[in-house]
Amino acid sequence: MRRKVLIEVLIKTGNVVAAMTVGLIIGGLIMQAYGYDALHAYYSLLRHAIGNPLTDPYPLTSTLSLATPLIFTGLAFAVSVRSGLFNIGVENAVYLGALGVVLASGFLKADTPLVLVIGSLMGLSLSILFALVAASLKVFRGVHEVITTIMLNWVAYWLVEYVRVNVFPDLRDPSKTIPVPPSARIPLLVAGTELSVSIIIAIIASLTTYFVLWYTVFGYELRATGINLIAAKYAGIKTSRFMIYSFLLSAVLGGLAGVCEVAGRPPHYSITTGISNLVGLGFDGIAVSLIGLNHPIAVIFASILIGALNSGVRGMQIEARVPFELVRLIQGVIVVSLAMPGVLSTFRKYLSIRRGRMEVVS
Amino acid sequence: MGNTGDTGSDEYLVLMKNIVKIYPDGTIALRGVDFTLRRGEIHGLLGENGAGKTTLMKILAGILKPTSGTIYVVGKKVVFSAAADALKLGIGMVHQNLSLIPSFTVYENIVLGLPRKQLLNARENINKLMSLTGLRVPLDERVEVLPFGVKQKVEILKMLFRNVDVLILDEPTTNLTLTETRELFNMINELKKMGKSVVFITHKLREVMEVADRITVLRKGRVVGEVPRAEANLNLLAQLMVGRNMISATSRETTTAGEELLIVRDLWVLSDLGTWAVRGVSLTVRSGEILGIAGVEGNGQKELVEGLTGLRRVEKGEVIFRGRRINNLPPSELYKLGIAHIPEDRTLMGLILDFTVSENSILSIQRSTSFRGFLNTLVWGRVAEHALSLITKFNITAPSLSSPVKYLSGGNQQRLVVAREISKEPQLIIAAQPTRGLDISATEHIRSLLLDFRKRGKAVLLVSSDLEEILQLSDRVAVMYEGRFVGIKNVSELTEDKLGLMLGGVSD
Amino acid sequence: MSYVLSTIINLLVSTSYAMTPLTLTAVGEITSERAGVVNIGLEGMISVSALVSVAVATQTLNPWLGLLAGVCAGALIGFIHGIISAYGKGAQIISGVGINIFALGFVPYMIIALWGVAGYKQVPEAGRIPRIAGLVSPIFIFCVLIAIATHYILFRTSLGLKIRALGEEPQAADTLGVHVERLQLIATVYGGALAGLAGAFMSLDWLGTITKEIAAGRGFISLALVVFSNWKPSLALLGGALFGSSWALTEWLKVLPGVKGVVPVTIINTLPYIVTLGTVAGVIGRARPPRKSGVPYLRE
Repeated sequence: MRRKVLIEVLIKTGNVVAAMTVGLIIGGLIMQAYGYDALHAYYSLLRHAIGNPLTDPYPLTSTLSLATPLIFTGLAFAVSVRSGLFNIGVENAVYLGALGVVLASGFLKADTPLVLVIGSLMGLSLSILFALVAASLKVFRGVHEVITTIMLNWVAYWLVEYVRVNVFPDLRDPSKTIPVPPSARIPLLVAGTELSVSIIIAIIASLTTYFVLWYTVFGYELRATGINLIAAKYAGIKTSRFMIYSFLLSAVLGGLAGVCEVAGRPPHYSITTGISNLVGLGFDGIAVSLIGLNHPIAVIFASILIGALNSGVRGMQIEARVPFELVRLIQGVIVVSLAMPGVLSTFRKYLSIRRGRMEVVS
Repeated sequence: MGNTGDTGSDEYLVLMKNIVKIYPDGTIALRGVDFTLRRGEIHGLLGENGAGKTTLMKILAGILKPTSGTIYVVGKKVVFSAAADALKLGIGMVHQNLSLIPSFTVYENIVLGLPRKQLLNARENINKLMSLTGLRVPLDERVEVLPFGVKQKVEILKMLFRNVDVLILDEPTTNLTLTETRELFNMINELKKMGKSVVFITHKLREVMEVADRITVLRKGRVVGEVPRAEANLNLLAQLMVGRNMISATSRETTTAGEELLIVRDLWVLSDLGTWAVRGVSLTVRSGEILGIAGVEGNGQKELVEGLTGLRRVEKGEVIFRGRRINNLPPSELYKLGIAHIPEDRTLMGLILDFTVSENSILSIQRSTSFRGFLNTLVWGRVAEHALSLITKFNITAPSLSSPVKYLSGGNQQRLVVAREISKEPQLIIAAQPTRGLDISATEHIRSLLLDFRKRGKAVLLVSSDLEEILQLSDRVAVMYEGRFVGIKNVSELTEDKLGLMLGGVSD
Repeated sequence: MSYVLSTIINLLVSTSYAMTPLTLTAVGEITSERAGVVNIGLEGMISVSALVSVAVATQTLNPWLGLLAGVCAGALIGFIHGIISAYGKGAQIISGVGINIFALGFVPYMIIALWGVAGYKQVPEAGRIPRIAGLVSPIFIFCVLIAIATHYILFRTSLGLKIRALGEEPQAADTLGVHVERLQLIATVYGGALAGLAGAFMSLDWLGTITKEIAAGRGFISLALVVFSNWKPSLALLGGALFGSSWALTEWLKVLPGVKGVVPVTIINTLPYIVTLGTVAGVIGRARPPRKSGVPYLRE
């Protein structure tokens, strides 16, 4: 019986590995089809994702720094899945978290660490506010969270664009908002790289999430709500309340990703045109969470994996001239592949049914 | 179908030989079963829960694939890959919970999937068929608004419209009233006259004696007897079915009932559809007694239980527990007051299948201080101790505390639920269908646990559609019919016959 | 007077444009959800098809070939999603999200890979769909027809009966010899093809350009429209007009004297999304989804 549990874990891990392989192969084929050298591209991807840390720490630190926001968004999504929701609103939480810090920078107009504190609070409040809209529509009106959160993503998107264009544009470079003042920035972990203290916050967040989910009554009740709503009600759990908690947790975790991105990533320390430095982080979180089997600790490793792709693709773009968007394409294929557990065995079963059908006719 | 078959015999319309069925989870449902069916015969297939009756017939209807064994129809070997294949050969099955589409009309349900040619004058043909068989159903009504008995007619009509020669009825009387049952039996006899063969799956001895020409008895996946009705009698069949005398090993000692624990006055509860499911029920449960609520499922028992356990709103009436009004208190409060609940469906409500044995052992008592540490943390060490004590005290077979309960057998899952509820040391257990779908040993174990609980001066409100269970366990019995009680009686005044009448809404 | 008239005509015409992709996509999704398969990858399918149709139209300078290519691209993705959902019994929501993420990368990647430009590509005049009387898009007419035809098929034919049975109780249909998986696949491919047509319409007809954000949430608004229309194609036509008019109004507001330059464009842009949220929240109680849509059908 212990074996059954072990086998289940092995199968799930196998599925993830298979899905990643499929993603990389299809990515390679698409590169090859448009005249890029896929092998060369993957080689330079690998070099720029890891490189030789002894001689040049940059590739590895870049991987880790790009993994940081994904840990947050991956956790945010994992929490929602664990509570039985499919919360795509992590994306707007990222925008709004970042927006809070920019707003604080603009309003306070002072170079003080207070900007980070107040900015984070504002950002998280905004993302919580949006999450509450989706949560109450879900709990009181039964509107599916996928629809509401996507609409809210777009509302948040245009709000941030409004602030960038009309409220706090960087007068020297209109493609960005004003930057976060230097003393409100999250310090770098390794000077001369992009790796900041954010990653430590992220890892603490994931350990905390793990602890809360599996070692507290709150986590027990949240997971119970996610797996079996009826049994949870039977167990005296106020399930609607836990759905709301889950939305709030995701909003906070997603918001932190946004805070850490604007306050902790050189060189911009601001939000750029079309929110281009933040767009998609929430969606990447879905991939990260699914690859990490929605487990807070595994999410760290999944984030590093996707972070490595994101980091490597920069080098790939320079050396093999492959557009960096390829990475998201690959992620998409990975997620699609993850949707079909054991598709091969299903097909084999289906084929044998067909063969069986032949015997009847005669 | 030609008769160039490999059996060389046309005596049987259907011949199943040496059928073995092993489910993917390793359960052996059938251990080499032979089954025959003649043309124009009503064949009773008798057995207890889990004997393999339904599995065998699902194989004949093409819904399940046998692990090994062969099926011959009119002497010709066939292999079905889907129910549709069997249907083409004229074999149709009516399931216990039917397979109709609730939002479709009766007409739509009947013609679903037919080739366009047959649709041209389908309505006319259905009308003809209805007058021929006497099965009258409203064609343009949506199925979901019809009572169960009518839905069943629709399902039968659907099969007949496809010209089946073999009609398999799986426990068809479970959800019927007495009158409806009578109608069903008449209809079955009509079909026989039309030359159709009927397989009648049941565990009810009287019914099979009344309607079948020949009876095959299954026990634990084997055929233990095949008797023509002329040679059968109730005692013989009962012994074949159970494998020993009917008199149960668990017997009830008399106790004296004490104070009134639970008083319910004029309770009204709505169903999911917004209609009244419980219409003014009053009852009392005293300490040291088991109050049994019998009744055909769907007469409001589920809503009654949910109303009493805080899972469904009580609209009108009063619920008083140990002198305190507990109307519409949330489940968590009721648990604290000393009410435990063994829910009707362990896989849907009583357990979380993906949670481990340990995790499930504290479901509904997860907030108890005995498992809580600093800052609302769960102290897994203490949870494990609790789970382990349940396992040893209640004889639960589980691979380990950390394996998901979905890997436990049904009997052990239910033991875990009952053990957990008893371990809360409640004053009252509300137990709904506590032994449904369990094998004999698990059933007896759980029944004896409930009796033991009663002996300790506590109370049980038992809701069951199993009459034997009701009569065996209860001190007093109420029968629920269409949301009301048709009398509450001491068990000594009751016989199964009398109870049967009351089930159909007939009180005296 | 003539100003009012021309404004009304303008609004009607722009509504006809704005509603076409929403309605087409919703009608397709209704069909596939009626058959039991939920596809939340519509957003991605719209943008991928928009891109493919531009690629073919700029190459061949034939808008109709471009249109066809867009439809095929949508159908292909629908096919993949259908295989995963119907035959693979996979997780439909996850597959749909994967399609969206894929599109997020695929579209900008291809814009660079094909044309060497980042961001957007204009469709040459010869590659654009001609308009009837210079005003009305032939695809709008087609959209109206297809909504009515789909409604007829779903509710008046035996094929429709089978499709609807799959979303309600596939097991019942299976017993009666309906090919559950095959029909689910066909319905999903149909849904994909219509989403593909919506994408091709947006790039080759309405906007005349392809950008990476071309779908702008329309795939998801279509999902909301499916709910709004209570899974009925005829109502999707009406709801499409309602939702479409909010887009038309948004564009109208942007240039309206007194609003233009006063209310920031970015704020006006939030309007259609807020309207969608409000509408869905208002009607959801009355909507009745197919009972088994989104649930993989597993045999015993």
